Amino acid sequence: MSRQTSRLDAKKVNSELLTLTYGALVSQMLKETENSEDVNKQLERIGYNMGVRLIEDFLARTTSTRCLEMRETADKIQQAFRLYLNMQPTVTSWSSAGDEFSLVWDQCPLSEWVEMPNNGLKYCALIPGAIRGALQMVQLDVQCWFVQDQLKGDAVTELRVKYIKRLEDAVPAGED
Amino acid sequence: MTIHNLYIFDRYGSLLYYGEWNRSKQSGMSREEEGKLMYGMLFSIKSFVAKISPLDPKDGFMHYKTTKYTLHCLETPSGLKFVMNTDNQAQGVRELLKRIYGEIYVKYAIRNPMCGIGEPIISEIFKNKLDAFIKQTPIHVRAS
Amino acid sequence: MVIYGVYIVSKSGGLIFNYDHNIPRVETEKTFGYPLDIKLQYENKKVVVAFGQRDGINVGHVLLSVNGSPVTGRTTEDGRDVFEVVEIKENYPLSLKFGRARATTNEKIVLASMFYPLFALASQLSPVPKCSGIESLTADTFKLSCFQTLTGVKFIIVTDPNMQGSEVVLKRIYELYSDYALKNPFYSLEMPIRCELFDTSLHTLLELVEKSGTGNL
Repeated sequence: MSRQTSRLDAKKVNSELLTLTYGALVSQMLKETENSEDVNKQLERIGYNMGVRLIEDFLARTTSTRCLEMRETADKIQQAFRLYLNMQPTVTSWSSAGDEFSLVWDQCPLSEWVEMPNNGLKYCALIPGAIRGALQMVQLDVQCWFVQDQLKGDAVTELRVKYIKRLEDAVPAGED
Repeated sequence: MTIHNLYIFDRYGSLLYYGEWNRSKQSGMSREEEGKLMYGMLFSIKSFVAKISPLDPKDGFMHYKTTKYTLHCLETPSGLKFVMNTDNQAQGVRELLKRIYGEIYVKYAIRNPMCGIGEPIISEIFKNKLDAFIKQTPIHVRAS
Repeated sequence: MVIYGVYIVSKSGGLIFNYDHNIPRVETEKTFGYPLDIKLQYENKKVVVAFGQRDGINVGHVLLSVNGSPVTGRTTEDGRDVFEVVEIKENYPLSLKFGRARATTNEKIVLASMFYPLFALASQLSPVPKCSGIESLTADTFKLSCFQTLTGVKFIIVTDPNMQGSEVVLKRIYELYSDYALKNPFYSLEMPIRCELFDTSLHTLLELVEKSGTGNL
């Protein structure tokens, strides 16, 4: 396979191409399955598979260390949004136990120009999937869901992230 | 100064890649078995270090030294382990491993959609880029 | 230079001597409101911080006491389960003390027996022929140096990562061992070293190294 593509300047790729690609993907999926709930699941899974890879790129680029508390995690997620989508969501609405927070944004390159069909589709389900996948690779199990969605008439889009547990390191066979 | 070999493990302990440049002694077992033994040793070292450390460790284990070689280990927060054996004079190997991670592994394995996560890396491009990278490092001088 | 501890491991891998020299005590006590913003977890018979580190309470620290009452396992002194106590709102404000767990004697024996196979594996996995076992092992918080005598006894010191001249210190400890333990007619080989003279001269040696380095040993 040709590797020339990686020599493109990532910052100069037109974001509209991304918007259109994603839009075409989602609408095609919707056409093929008809059931928007299934599409949501598929999008989440695609996001998850992206997150699993994206985290390595993120770690290599930012030389981050492992997060040991949720605020640090929130910062890192925010940083990743800036890095990969060139947008800066606000981190708010912390739960009093400090294990749950919201990411709020009012503009996202994925959902520009989108008018939603009224069928329960979560257009941006890719994003929570990516967050879940990426964090799972750094031993953090989180739950991630939309609370508000601009595409459904809310003023902003709000994504909630909740800590579930720390995953243990894998133990090689034969160890206790 | 010499680089002997490099192992890359994923967080479940499977050997993703092995490369050698100046290795004069084989362990006498299959690569797979050797990988398991190596990962087992690193795993034990990690828990050993966590227990014996007088203060809270952050990066944890970095390298060990024997009379003949030094083993350097870089563990990423995602649990990947980059393990490189060099002679005892080599300097700056940790930075080198970080570059292998960022400039070779992420670029040619992670971004390659044909390269499955957690599967051995068989990509020729990866191998060639890594070889070229190792050969241009100042640490690497052929033991001729 | 800081020396944290000395270990001597016999030929068969048993820990025959251990001395904690300068291990800092890492402890933090703090009053918490409801709900508790630190995630606790029960592992290896200890209540440990799993996530949410802050104010010097780090992930991996062990819960030592609740409102001043010491915790053993997962229960407080008056027999209440820690995890139940921290769930109930009425119990707050709650004063919790966390600290870095120090290795117990048993754990040290386990550590010593762990080092033994690591030492051998390092030689087995060597990419070059005729290689020894681990001579030194460095982590971000400490450096461990090991000297194995021809008879198979291992001397290990744990120091700060920048320690220089560990070999000299190890050789001196070897000399002390041969003087005060081996030459003592009441000391039997492979058995734990319990000789007061050995203890005191080792202590003097470590103090000297910490004060004036290894230059004049």
